Amino acid sequence: MNEPGAIPAAAPLLSVRGLCKHFPVLSRGFRRPSSEWVKAVDNVNFDIAQGETLGLVGESGCGKTTTARCALRAIDPTAGEVFFRLPDGRVVDLARLSAGELKPVRRHVQMIFQDPVSSLNPRMTVRDIVGEPLVIHGLARGDELETRVAEVLARVGLKPEHRTRYPHAFSGGQRQRIGIARAIIMRPSLIVCDEATSALDVSVQAQVLDLLKELQREFRLTYLFVAHNLDVVRNFCDRVAVMRKGRIVELAPTPQIFAAPQHAYTRILLSAVPSPDPDVKMNFNVGEELAKLDAAE
Amino acid sequence: MKVPFPLLEVEELRVSFFTPDLVVPAVEGVTFSIARGQTLALVGESGSGKSVTAYSILRLIQPPGRMTGGRILLRSARVGDIDIAKLEDDSDRLFEVRGGLISMIFQEPMTALSPVHTIGSQIAEAILLHRPIGKTVARELTLEMLDKVGIAPATRCYEQYPHELSGGMRQRVVIAMALVCRPELLIADEPTTALDVTIQAQILGLIKTLQREIGCSVLLITHDFGVVAQMADEVAVMQRGKIVERGEVRAVLKNPQHAYTRALLDALSSRRHPA
Ligand SMILES: Nc1ncnc2c1ncn2[C@@H]1O[C@H](COP(=O)(O)OP(=O)(O)O)[C@@H](O)[C@H]1O
Ligand SMILES: Nc1ncnc2c1ncn2[C@@H]1O[C@H](COP(=O)(O)OP(=O)(O)O)[C@@H](O)[C@H]1O
Ligand SMILES: [Mg+2]
Ligand SMILES: [Mg+2]
Repeated sequence: MNEPGAIPAAAPLLSVRGLCKHFPVLSRGFRRPSSEWVKAVDNVNFDIAQGETLGLVGESGCGKTTTARCALRAIDPTAGEVFFRLPDGRVVDLARLSAGELKPVRRHVQMIFQDPVSSLNPRMTVRDIVGEPLVIHGLARGDELETRVAEVLARVGLKPEHRTRYPHAFSGGQRQRIGIARAIIMRPSLIVCDEATSALDVSVQAQVLDLLKELQREFRLTYLFVAHNLDVVRNFCDRVAVMRKGRIVELAPTPQIFAAPQHAYTRILLSAVPSPDPDVKMNFNVGEELAKLDAAE
Repeated sequence: MKVPFPLLEVEELRVSFFTPDLVVPAVEGVTFSIARGQTLALVGESGSGKSVTAYSILRLIQPPGRMTGGRILLRSARVGDIDIAKLEDDSDRLFEVRGGLISMIFQEPMTALSPVHTIGSQIAEAILLHRPIGKTVARELTLEMLDKVGIAPATRCYEQYPHELSGGMRQRVVIAMALVCRPELLIADEPTTALDVTIQAQILGLIKTLQREIGCSVLLITHDFGVVAQMADEVAVMQRGKIVERGEVRAVLKNPQHAYTRALLDALSSRRHPA
């Protein structure tokens, strides 16, 4: 399947098979040649169809970010395959491409982080940040670069005069728009959103999610949406994968996950969410239920 | 909102920040009260003035911030009525209020913990500051409290340093430290915002249980109406330094009167229900 070649339109855009990522356990800060490993990602499988949004939810440390980073080959997986369909129909295994083969593929997959700006050089203006991917890939410069940056900023709801400003002066929601602009300027087919709206107030979160939905329709985007907050994925994702301790315990269409969760862990997770309806009581007893689940495993 | 047996009555509280080139009003005439043994949730989006309100109650506002008006009446069962707003900065009374009559916990537990002292010694120290007892008794009370907040074995945790614990466990330690002197009021400023939902559920449950046992009131600050609905008796909705709506939780959540409250609840339900 990782042979180049056209595949049927119904085939997934991304297909992850047997993905594993093990990190050596560090003791007292030294990397010993030990035989102990953290199985951060432990045999993960999922597909994402073109134009679909797949949610990946679970508690912190369960392996969501590592899964996403392996899937985009930001880090090398320990094992597994990541089949990705290029716009021309060829399918490549991202897990096996060489650095040289990866570079032209990278423009098709982009990532949006919780705070897309904080990790960047504070002396970069909004124009530098948003235009940088085009420059790195040698896709535009000069007037064309300026035009494309202006276009994409307008598209995410930022003003032309924002171009020359520095991002730390912006609100959380605006910073997220800058991150979105930087991602979509590449016209990717797949975007991984890693906790992209987790730090935002609910009303701002709703605006950013609306923008992501519009962009998805407009550019036929496919999203892998990573979040620890179940509430957020509820109305945004087509399907949801629930992750625990490096594994996907349940993957189902979103309505089914919320209305008829199959796995005990999904049920516990849902019961712990405080409902804004005072008549729907939350479960304060999740500690014991999780301990029971652990004991049963 | 006049409550029948108020423990705390805040009236027309005003706080501003005086920066070199402008005055930023953060709290602009806030009035609310908290009944004995009950929980009031202060809810609003970031920057609305919730933390500044909480810090004011303990007189923890630092320059360039300054309280410019208002009354903070604590009707203590132990020492009688005190207007906290009028206390001298270094007075014994203010010292007694902080940590003795009123305790506070924060979103980030390390705000209240020292990284270089063991957990046990820090809680014991908090007791010794406010109660005339010996070290042995303080140690026993500490172990008992650690046990109550669900840390087992307590003797092991006593000797540990904060960095050896997970975020959820640290928040339990901070709750132990806040409640060990049996305060009349616990102020909890977004105590579970940084935690996963399953840990949040346990911490909220713990606060509820211990509140019942100690009989204290709780001022719970949150941006999450889910937390409001599950934890509070009364709610005050804050927007840009003002309380725009307040009342009994069920009434406000089921039938919000103010446009801002409705907008916040709508944003939440649009997340939950397909458009
Ligand atoms: N570079 C790394 N070295 C060692 N362990 C790591 C590294 N990155 C992640 N981990 C571990 O892998 C597990 C999963 O982490 P992560 O994927 O970040 O979880 P999540 O995104 O779900 O919070 C955690 O136990 C984490 O400590
Ligand atoms: N140290 C400070 N200097 C200047 N202004 C401040 C400072 N701290 C808070 N403020 C102002 O007070 C407002 C309310 O802040 P805060 O009470 O922390 O909000 P909340 O807790 O509701 O998120 C902020 O919008 C800000 O304008
Ligand atoms: Mg993560
Ligand atoms: Mg705050």
